[in-house]
Amino acid sequence: MALHSSRETEQRRQLEARSRRRGGSPDTAEADGTALGATVAQAIDLTKTYGDKDAVVTALDHVNVEFKRGQMTAIMGPSGSGKSTLMHCMAGLDTPTSGKVIVESLEVSSMSQKELTKLRREQIGFIFQSFNLVPTLTAEENILLPLQIAKKSIDRAWFDRVVDVVGLRSRLTHRPSQLSGGQQQRVACARALMARPSVVFADEPTGNLDSKSSSEVLGFLKSSVSQYGQTIVMVTHDPRAASYADRVLVLADGNVTRDMQHPSYDEILAVFSDDDSAPDDGNASGDEVLS
Amino acid sequence: MIKIGLREARSHFSRFVMSIIAIALGVGFVVGSFCFREMLNNQVDQMMASNMDADVYVRGDKAVSDDGSSSSQNTYNDISISLTDDVSSLSGVKSAKVTYSVSGLVLVGKDGNAVATVGAPTLGIGISSAEPWRSASLTQGSYASGKDEIALDSYAAQKADLKVGDQTTLVYPDGPRTVKVSGIFHTSNSQAGALIIGLDPTVAKASSDALAEDPNVTQYIAVYGSANGGTALDAAQQSALADTINNSLPASSKARAVTGDTIRDEQSQSVKDSLGFIQPLILIFAIIALFVGSFIIANTFSMIVRESMRGYALLRSVGASPGQVFATVIVQAIVLGIVGSLAGIGLGWGMVKLIAEGMSQIGSPLTGSSNPTWRDVIIALLVGVCVSLFGAALPAKHASLAPPLQAMNETVNPEKPTRLRAMLGGIMCILGIGCWVFTVMLADNKDGLTPWKTVNDMNSGWPLGVGAALLVIGFIVLSPALVTGVSRVLGSLPSVFFPVTGKLATRNLARSKRRTANTAAALFVGIAIVSCLGVVASSAKASVAGIVDNGLKSEFVAMASGGMGVIPDAAVDAVKGVDGVKSVTANKLLQHVEYDGKSSTASTVTTDSSLFTDVFTPANTEGDPTKALKNNEMVVAKNTADDHGWAIGDRIEVSTDLATVKLTVGAITSDATFSSSIIIGHTEADKLVVPQMQRTTAMYISTTKGADLAKVKKDLIAAVKPYYVISVMDRDEFKSTISSMVDQIMLILYALLALSIVIAIFGIVNTLALSVSERTREIGLLRAIGTGKGQVRGMLAIEASMISVFGTLIGLLVGSAAGVVIQKVYASQGLETLSVPWGQLIVFLFMAILVGVLASLPPARRALKVPVLDAVASE
Repeated sequence: MALHSSRETEQRRQLEARSRRRGGSPDTAEADGTALGATVAQAIDLTKTYGDKDAVVTALDHVNVEFKRGQMTAIMGPSGSGKSTLMHCMAGLDTPTSGKVIVESLEVSSMSQKELTKLRREQIGFIFQSFNLVPTLTAEENILLPLQIAKKSIDRAWFDRVVDVVGLRSRLTHRPSQLSGGQQQRVACARALMARPSVVFADEPTGNLDSKSSSEVLGFLKSSVSQYGQTIVMVTHDPRAASYADRVLVLADGNVTRDMQHPSYDEILAVFSDDDSAPDDGNASGDEVLS
Repeated sequence: MIKIGLREARSHFSRFVMSIIAIALGVGFVVGSFCFREMLNNQVDQMMASNMDADVYVRGDKAVSDDGSSSSQNTYNDISISLTDDVSSLSGVKSAKVTYSVSGLVLVGKDGNAVATVGAPTLGIGISSAEPWRSASLTQGSYASGKDEIALDSYAAQKADLKVGDQTTLVYPDGPRTVKVSGIFHTSNSQAGALIIGLDPTVAKASSDALAEDPNVTQYIAVYGSANGGTALDAAQQSALADTINNSLPASSKARAVTGDTIRDEQSQSVKDSLGFIQPLILIFAIIALFVGSFIIANTFSMIVRESMRGYALLRSVGASPGQVFATVIVQAIVLGIVGSLAGIGLGWGMVKLIAEGMSQIGSPLTGSSNPTWRDVIIALLVGVCVSLFGAALPAKHASLAPPLQAMNETVNPEKPTRLRAMLGGIMCILGIGCWVFTVMLADNKDGLTPWKTVNDMNSGWPLGVGAALLVIGFIVLSPALVTGVSRVLGSLPSVFFPVTGKLATRNLARSKRRTANTAAALFVGIAIVSCLGVVASSAKASVAGIVDNGLKSEFVAMASGGMGVIPDAAVDAVKGVDGVKSVTANKLLQHVEYDGKSSTASTVTTDSSLFTDVFTPANTEGDPTKALKNNEMVVAKNTADDHGWAIGDRIEVSTDLATVKLTVGAITSDATFSSSIIIGHTEADKLVVPQMQRTTAMYISTTKGADLAKVKKDLIAAVKPYYVISVMDRDEFKSTISSMVDQIMLILYALLALSIVIAIFGIVNTLALSVSERTREIGLLRAIGTGKGQVRGMLAIEASMISVFGTLIGLLVGSAAGVVIQKVYASQGLETLSVPWGQLIVFLFMAILVGVLASLPPARRALKVPVLDAVASE
C-alpha cells in the first residue's frame, strides 16, 4: 500500500528533476545517462525477524520501499521500529529473512561476501554515528581511504572541492583524536562522498553532535544532494535533522507508516507527537497523509 | 566472588587455551630440566652402585690436588697392591682385590665392523667365577679364561649380535686378536651405552699393567665383607668393617679404608657436577617460555577484562568492592596457572621419557628414573601459578579500578611515553657495548691495557658475559622506544607493494609499543642465542678449514673414533710401513704434567720435530721450533707463555709423579694451530711419562714427492683396517669431518630454536588477537567502506611479520655481534677466522616473515568472523 502511494508522488518528482544530472561537478555533468529520480535502491517485500521459534521479534514486516536518485531520504521512527534494520539490510550489512534488496539493479540480499565488498567499493558510502575514522590515519588519509582500498585513481579536483565544501582544508594533516566531533563527522561525510557512490547510508550522523555541528554536517549533506545529485539515505530520530531531507519515511513496528515529501520541521514534530500519544494507529494516520 | 570467578574461568576456557599452552610449555621445560637432571643423577647412582659395589675401599690417605679442575673429586695417593693380601686375611672380609679395567678396547661385531657407541667407552673388566662382580650374573656359558676368550655383557652381546661360541675380533691396547665369546652376563642396570667386556682377571691385569706407570700400585683395593653371606653390607656394617681394616693398616702403608657408600657418593657427585651444565641450558628456554607465557596471560586477561567490563561495572554498581572484582579475575588466573602447570608437568615428564627413549634408540639406554618428584611438582605448580598471577595482576587491577562508565568506551588509553625506558635501555646497551669493546681490547692486548694488574689478568669471559646480559636486557627495555622508528623503516617495504594495508599495519604497530616490543622480545632472545652460536660455529669451521688450506702440509690425517680415541702404537708403525709415506708425525698427549709446581690449562704434547717441517710450519714464531725440539727444549703457544709469563730462554721445572726435569723455552709460536699447547721432545717426555701412558690422539702423514695419493690412501686404509676405529682422511675429508662435528652440535641448538619459535608464534598470535579484539569496530569500519577479506588478512599478516622481523633483526644484530666478540676473544686460541653465516642469517629473516604470516592466520580468522554489522552498529 505504501509502495503504491509513494510511487505516484515519485513519478511527479521524477519529471521535475529530469533535466538535472547526477555527477561530480555541475559544469561537466557525467554522461552516464542515469536520470535523476530513477530508482537507486529498492526493498521488495522485505522481512527481517530475530530470535528463534519461541520468541520471534519482527523488525521488518514485508516492507516495500524505493529510494530515488538525487534525493535525501530520512528514515525515522521510535526505538525498535526497524529503521536501523531497514538501513542495514539496504546497505548489505544485514541479510533479510525474506524479500529482496536491490541497489543499482544488483540484488544485494543474495550477495556473497566478495560481491558485497565490491558493492561497498563501488556503490555504497557509509556515515556512522560514531567511530567513523581510522584513528591511525590523518583526515586526508581517511578521506582517500575508500579509493585506495579499491585501488582507484584519485580525482584531485574532486577531492579539493569536497574538502573545501566541508571546510577542512586546514585540518587535513590532523589525526581524528585532534579533531572535534563535528569535524570528525565532516571528514566522514567527505570520505563517504569521495568515491561518488550511488547511495550514501548515514546512520544517525548527528547523533553525537551539538546543534551547531549538526547543522553544519546536515547542511553539507544537503548541499551534496542539491549540487551534485548525491543520493543519501539517513536514519535519524532527530526531527530537526529529518527536516533537511527531501522525503521522510516513518517506521513503526516494522512497517512504513508515513512517507512525507518535503515535510517541514513542524509537520515532522506533529507526526511524532501523534505517534507518541497513539503509536498504535500509525497505519491509519499514514494513509491519511498519503492520500 | 570466587564462584563468579570460577564460573567465568569456565566460560572463558577457550580463550585460555593459548595461555595454558604457554604456561605448560614453560613449566614443561622447568619440570623437564629437573627430571632430566634427576634421571641422569639416578643413572649415575645406579651405575656407581653396580660398578663400584664393594663394601669398603682402601685408598691413599692423602688427597692430591687434582689439576685445579672444578671437579669435586680428589685424587689420593696410590697404594701398594701388596696390601690386598693383608686385608683379605682379616676377619669379616670375604675377599679383597684390585679390579683391573682396560679402556680403549674395540669390539668387532658379527658384521665385521667395530661396534659403535655414542660417546660411551668400551670397557674390559677383570671378572671370573673366582673373582665375581657382585652386580653381574652369568646367564650363559662361562667367564673368559685366557686372552683368547671374552665374556660379554648382555647389552654388548646384543649390540654386537654375538652369541656364546661366536668368533670375533677384539682390539686390545697392544693390537687386534681373534677371540671366542665364552659367556654372556647380565648387569643389574644399563651402562648408559657403554660396552662391558668380561676379561680373564690375569689378562685384565696384564693389559692394565702394560699401561700403568707402576704396576705395583693402585688407586683402590675393593673389599667385600662376609657379614651378610656375600650380599652387600648396610651402612653400619660398612663402617664397622672399614674401622677393622683401618686398625690393622700400618701407618707406613699410607692407606686408609673408607666405606663403599662414601666412595660411591664421591664418584657420582663428580659425574653429576660434570653434567650440571645441562640444566641451566634448558632453563634458559624455560625462562623464555615463561616470559612469553606471562605476557600471553596479560594479553588474554586484558581481552577478557575488556569484554567483561560491563559485567564488572554491574558488579560494582550493586556494591562489589574493587577488591572483590579483583578477586574474580585473580581466581581465574589461579585456575589457569594450575591447569597450565599440571599440563606442563605432564609435558615435561613426557619430554624426558621421549629423550630417554630416543637415547636408547641411538644406543644409550638409561634406566634412571625420569619421574618427577613431589618437589618438582610443587615447584612447577608454584612457577605456573606465580607466572599467571603476575600476568593477570595488571588487567585485574584495571578491571577493579576502572570507573563503571568507562565500560562502554572503546578507546584505549594512550600509552605512557617510552622516553624513560629509552634512556634506561640505551644506557644499558651502551654499557654492554662498552663491556664488549673492553673484552676485545683485553683479548688483543693482554698486558698493559690498564694500570691495574687484576683487571689485565681478568678472564675475558667476565666482561663478555656481563656485556651480553646488559645488551639483552638493555634491548628488551629499550625496544618499545624503537618500535615507531623500526616499524616506519620496516613498513616502507610492504607499503610499496600494499599501499593501504601496509600503511595501516605500520601505524598499528606503533599504537601499543610495549606490547609490540614484548612480543618481539621472545623471538629476540632465541634468535640472539642461535645466531651468536651460528657465528661461532661458522668461524670454528672456517678457522679449521683455513688451517687445513693454508698451513697443513701433510696429505693425510688419521684419528681414532672421530678424534676421541687413542691410536695404538702398532697402528702408527703399520702406517709408517706404507709405501710412499715420507713421515708420520704422531702427537702424543701427556697428562698430569706440572710446570714450576703448578698445573696448566694448556695440553702437553710430545711429537717429532717433523711436526714443524712436514705438517705445519708456524708463521709467527719467536725462536726456531724445529731446532728447539731437537735441542730438547719446549715449544710453547703464545697464549700459554703469556699465561705463565714465560719468555724465550726461561728455564722451567717440569714435573710429573715420575720425574722432574728442567726445560728451556726454546720457541714461542702465536700460530693458532698450536694455541694452548706445550710441545716437548720425545726424550724428555719419556722421562716424565712412561711411553705406554703417552696417548696418541692424531697422526699426520706426509707422502714422498710424486707419490700416487689415491694409492697411498688405499694402502693407508688397508694398514689401519685391523684397528677398526682409525680413520684416514685426506684434507677435504678432514675439513668435512670437523665441520660435521660442529654441525651435530648445532643441530641440538636448532631443535631448541624451533621450540622458542613455537613459543614466539604463540606470543604473536596472542598479541594480534588482543589487538584485533580492541580494534573490532575499526576493522568493521574498514570492511564497511569496502576493505576485502584478503586486505584485512594482509594487514594483519604484515603487522605480525613486522613484529617477528623486528625481534629477529635485533636478535641477529646482538647475537652476531656477540659471536664476533667471542671470535675476537678466542682468536688466539684457534678461532682465527671470523665467518658470519650470512646465508643462514638471511634464512632466519625469511623464516621470521613466514612465522609472522602463520601467526596472523588465527587472529585474522577471528577478526573476519565478526559480522560487519556487529562491529559498526552503534548500540
